[in-house]
Amino acid sequence: MDARVNSPAYLALSGVGKTFGSGAGQTEALGEIELAVREGEFLAIVGPSGCGKSTLLQIAAGLAQATRGTVQFHGEEVTAPPPGIVYLFQQYGRSLFPWRTVLDNVAFAVEHLPGMSRAKARASSRLYLDMVGLGDFAGHYPAQLSGGMQQRVTIARALAAQPRVLLMDEPFSSVDALTRLELHALVQDLWRKHGFTAVLVTHDADEAIFLADRIAVLSARPSRVVRMLETGLPRPRDRLETPLMPRYLELRHELLAMLLGKAP
Amino acid sequence: MSAVTPSRKRLQSWLGPGVLLVLVLLLELATRAGWINPVLVPPPSAVAQRLFAVVTAGSIFEPLGRTMYLLVVAYAIGCVLAIGLGVLMGRFRPIHGLLEPLVEVLRPLPKPALLPPLMLFLGLGDTMKITAVSLGVFFPVLINTIQGVRGVDPVLVEVARTFQHSRAALLWKVVLPSAMPLVLAGMRIALGIALVLVVVAEMMAGSGGIGYLIIDLQRSFRIVDMYAWVVILAVLGYALNEVFVRIERRAIHWSGARAG
Repeated sequence: MDARVNSPAYLALSGVGKTFGSGAGQTEALGEIELAVREGEFLAIVGPSGCGKSTLLQIAAGLAQATRGTVQFHGEEVTAPPPGIVYLFQQYGRSLFPWRTVLDNVAFAVEHLPGMSRAKARASSRLYLDMVGLGDFAGHYPAQLSGGMQQRVTIARALAAQPRVLLMDEPFSSVDALTRLELHALVQDLWRKHGFTAVLVTHDADEAIFLADRIAVLSARPSRVVRMLETGLPRPRDRLETPLMPRYLELRHELLAMLLGKAP
Repeated sequence: MSAVTPSRKRLQSWLGPGVLLVLVLLLELATRAGWINPVLVPPPSAVAQRLFAVVTAGSIFEPLGRTMYLLVVAYAIGCVLAIGLGVLMGRFRPIHGLLEPLVEVLRPLPKPALLPPLMLFLGLGDTMKITAVSLGVFFPVLINTIQGVRGVDPVLVEVARTFQHSRAALLWKVVLPSAMPLVLAGMRIALGIALVLVVVAEMMAGSGGIGYLIIDLQRSFRIVDMYAWVVILAVLGYALNEVFVRIERRAIHWSGARAG
C-alpha cells in the first residue's frame, strides 16, 4: 500500500458542521462533513445549490469558523488562514483591487513576504502573468479587462503565492462558456506543472469530471459527503477527446443522476 | 438626447461665462448712470483697476500668504486627525460606539459659534484660528471616512487575509484606498468650509490676512479696495476647488472607470 494513504490526511475535515442563526430561525447548512484531501490531488466538491459548498471551502481555508468539528492541515488545526493555503474567490471582479494595475494586483500575493523588494515582487509577478497569458496587460487596470481576463489575473495572483493548496470557489461560474473551457485547460496545465493540491467547488458536472481526480458529492442541506467518485481518466485531458471516452460519459451520467436526485 | 452639433456645443459652453459678462456690464452701466450709489457699489472697472494695482504692487502677497498659511496648516491637521479616527471608528465597533454620540452632538454645531469660546481659552492668535478651522474641517472628513471604511468590500478584506497580510497592511493597503473616493469627497466639502472659517476667524480676531483686511477696509471706508479683496477671495476659492478636483481625479481615476 502507498505510504501516503496510511499517513494522516494532508488537509482533513472531520465532523465539520455549520449552523447559521439560532433558535427557530436557525439553518443547518453543513451536517457532518468527513473529507480527507490527499497531497497533490485534484479534488472536486459538487452538490446541489444551497448545500453549503462555499461555506465548506471557507472553513477549510480558515476564513470562516465551523460550528462543530475540526479542520487539520499538516496535522495542525486550522483556525485562521494558514500559510500555504490560498483561496480563489468566485467574485473575481470584486477580489481585484481596482486602484492597482494588473501587475500590482498579482504582486499583492508576494510583496509582503520577508526578503521581498518591490522590484523582486514585480519581477516574479510578471512570470505568473505570462503564465496565464496576460503579460501584455501588466499595466492595465482591472476595469479595463474582460471577466475572463480578470479571473486569469486572480489565478496568477493565487499561484504567485506558491500555495501548497489552492481552494477554488466556483471560479468559472460567471465567465462565458468558451472562456470557461479555456480556463479549465489553463488550470489543468498549471496544476500539472506546479504540483499543488487543488480543491474545486462547483455545480458543473462536466467541470468536475474534466479537472478532478476525485469528486466528492454533497447531499442537500444539512449536507454530508454522500459519494466519493474516482474519475480515473488519463491525463493530460483534452477538451475535445476526453468527453468522448466511455468512462467520462459513465461518470457524467452517474453524477447528474445524483445531482438531479434520480440515482437508484 | 437630441444630437448636438459641435458648433452648438461650443456656443453652449460660452453661455455661462456670457451671462457673467453681461451682469458685470450691467453693473458698470448702473453705477455710471447713477442708478446705484457708486460710494456703496463702485463700478467694476474701478475695482478691476485697484485689483490690478494690488497685484502688480505686490501688496497681495502678505495677506494672501497669511490666510493660506492658516488654511493649509489647519486643513492638514483636521484631515489627518479625521482620517485616522475615521478609520478606527469605521473598522472597530467598540470605538464607534464610544465616540459616535459625541460626534453627533458636536457635528451640527455651526463652527463659527466656537470662535468666541475658543478665544477665551486660546487668545486671539494663530492657535485659536487653527483650532477653529481644524474643527470645521474635521467633521465632514470624519463622517465620510467612517462611511468609506464601512463600505469596504468584504471580499477584498478576505483576499488580504488569504494572502497572509497583517492587520496594519489590511488597513493601509485595502481599507484606506477603498475608502479614498468618499474620503476625498469629504475633503472637498471641508476645503470650502475651511476657507469660510479662516476668513471669519480673521474678521473676528485678526491682525492680518484677507479676512482682517476686508473688514478693516470696510471700517475705514476704502470701499473700492474692499471689493478688490472680495474678488481675490472669490478667485482663491475657485482656484482651490479647481486644484483639488484635479488632484482628486488623478488620485482616484480608477473609481470612475469602475463605475462606468
